[in-house]
Amino acid sequence: MTAHSKKDSEMIEIWDDVVRIKDLVLAIAINSITTLGGYFAAPNHAPMPLLFGLIGAVIGFIICSLFIKPKRIFEETESGE
Amino acid sequence: MDLVLLAEMIAAAVAAALIYTIIGIIPGTDETAVLVPVTLILVLTGVQPVIVLCFFISAVIANNLMDAVPAAIAGIPGGVMASPLVDHAQLLKRKGMADRSLRKMAAGSLIGVLVSVPVSLLLARSLIPLAEAIKAYADPLFFAGAVLLALLSKNKLLALASILPFTLLIEGLRYLYWGIGIVPRGTTVFISFFLGITIGPVVLTLFELLNKEKRECLKCDQPRRITLQKVPFEWKSLNPFHALKKQEWVTSAGASLISCFTFILSPVGMTTLLGELFSKRTQDPVDRSMLAITTMNALANATYLSGTLIPLIALGVPLSPVAIGPAHALFDSPPVFTATHNMHHILSQTDFILATVIGAGVALIVTYTLAIKYAQSICAFVFKRIPHEAILGLFCAFVLLLAYMDAGWMNIGGVMLIGLVSGLLHRWGVGYGILFMVLYAAPWLVLGF
Repeated sequence: MTAHSKKDSEMIEIWDDVVRIKDLVLAIAINSITTLGGYFAAPNHAPMPLLFGLIGAVIGFIICSLFIKPKRIFEETESGE
Repeated sequence: MDLVLLAEMIAAAVAAALIYTIIGIIPGTDETAVLVPVTLILVLTGVQPVIVLCFFISAVIANNLMDAVPAAIAGIPGGVMASPLVDHAQLLKRKGMADRSLRKMAAGSLIGVLVSVPVSLLLARSLIPLAEAIKAYADPLFFAGAVLLALLSKNKLLALASILPFTLLIEGLRYLYWGIGIVPRGTTVFISFFLGITIGPVVLTLFELLNKEKRECLKCDQPRRITLQKVPFEWKSLNPFHALKKQEWVTSAGASLISCFTFILSPVGMTTLLGELFSKRTQDPVDRSMLAITTMNALANATYLSGTLIPLIALGVPLSPVAIGPAHALFDSPPVFTATHNMHHILSQTDFILATVIGAGVALIVTYTLAIKYAQSICAFVFKRIPHEAILGLFCAFVLLLAYMDAGWMNIGGVMLIGLVSGLLHRWGVGYGILFMVLYAAPWLVLGF
């Protein structure tokens, strides 16, 4: 995953971290569908639509976290003076 | 107050501490953007105000401490409030002292909370007699606040020049919605505009991606490299006073005390200003950085708590950058909380004290232990498992939902427009605080013409 091939280079920095454009579009689409889907599917009285929307958002977030790989190279070092 | 409610408050505080431990560590998450939607949803789903306050206080403390954790062990800020101390934390990390810097940060947070909670509660009580006079002039005061923050910012002229156009943008949209009848006349669209401002930089970047030339410029072909320094754990490091020198805790406590009185100013500004001011006389670079990170962590918590509690208890009007930003849902989340019926009017003095003390106490116990003992494994989990795309997707979905709830499909376009403009202004150097104040003062300001 050193990302030197042309296909991998569609990455940008946004809000202080690196994302791949295709994954970002996918994540926004998935989250929007689950959130608005929850909102519209809910029974139509006071807090329910919002609550279902929130649950939808959490489900969307979990789906994205499972299927999208973070674009970070990660290593651990020993501490020492 | 019965035991069930007490148990619910403690549960809410524990939940907040755990959720915001994760959110705090995620790099780049803006405090306002992560605190407002969740608090707002709690308020709107009908959770009792005293539980919401408890949740919020705990969330603020957890978020502020955990913002600093990745700065100590990976050299990147977890959020806006950690940005002032990044340079100092990086210096300590390069010297291989991530463990000590982490412990000092946690101890600093502790001092900030312990000083600011009682001072804010007392200060709020002493301001209550003045409250009526202040409230009568709330609208012009918001405008004055915007001008004051503009004059104190780095780009004074730019900030001043953007006040009027931004006012017109907001009021223009509101009058348009009234004109075509998607919102009843007199109902002020607020929450979604507010979130539009917070998520502005993201909206701007997303729009730039649609421009081919811009997209080429934005590209970076390297994934982010994060080096985490291992932190050894010893039981004695759980004692906060073991971690600090006398000078460090005296300075932190003093700076926290001062920042409670300046609750009307920007929290990032005060943290940078006081933190650098108090540490710059120390000669040795390592000692200086240690002092700076301790003091700045104390300040981050003190500015947030005083900025929330004093306006909330004394005024009921969000007259501080923190109250108008991250704590906004406690003041104004229609239809549950409105300007004349919010937490200030509903809760008693005892409620305020109890919610604050339980929230702060639980958050300190949970996050302090987590930060000292498990900082490294939590960071490793977040960096390895949680993609940045999922976070951005989540916020976009929140904004979409709240935009639709405020004024239907058309408002999604309206919120994007506000996001674009405020994202651009923010990138040029106009602080969020100024834009939020303008959002509040806008209806009054256009009637003045």
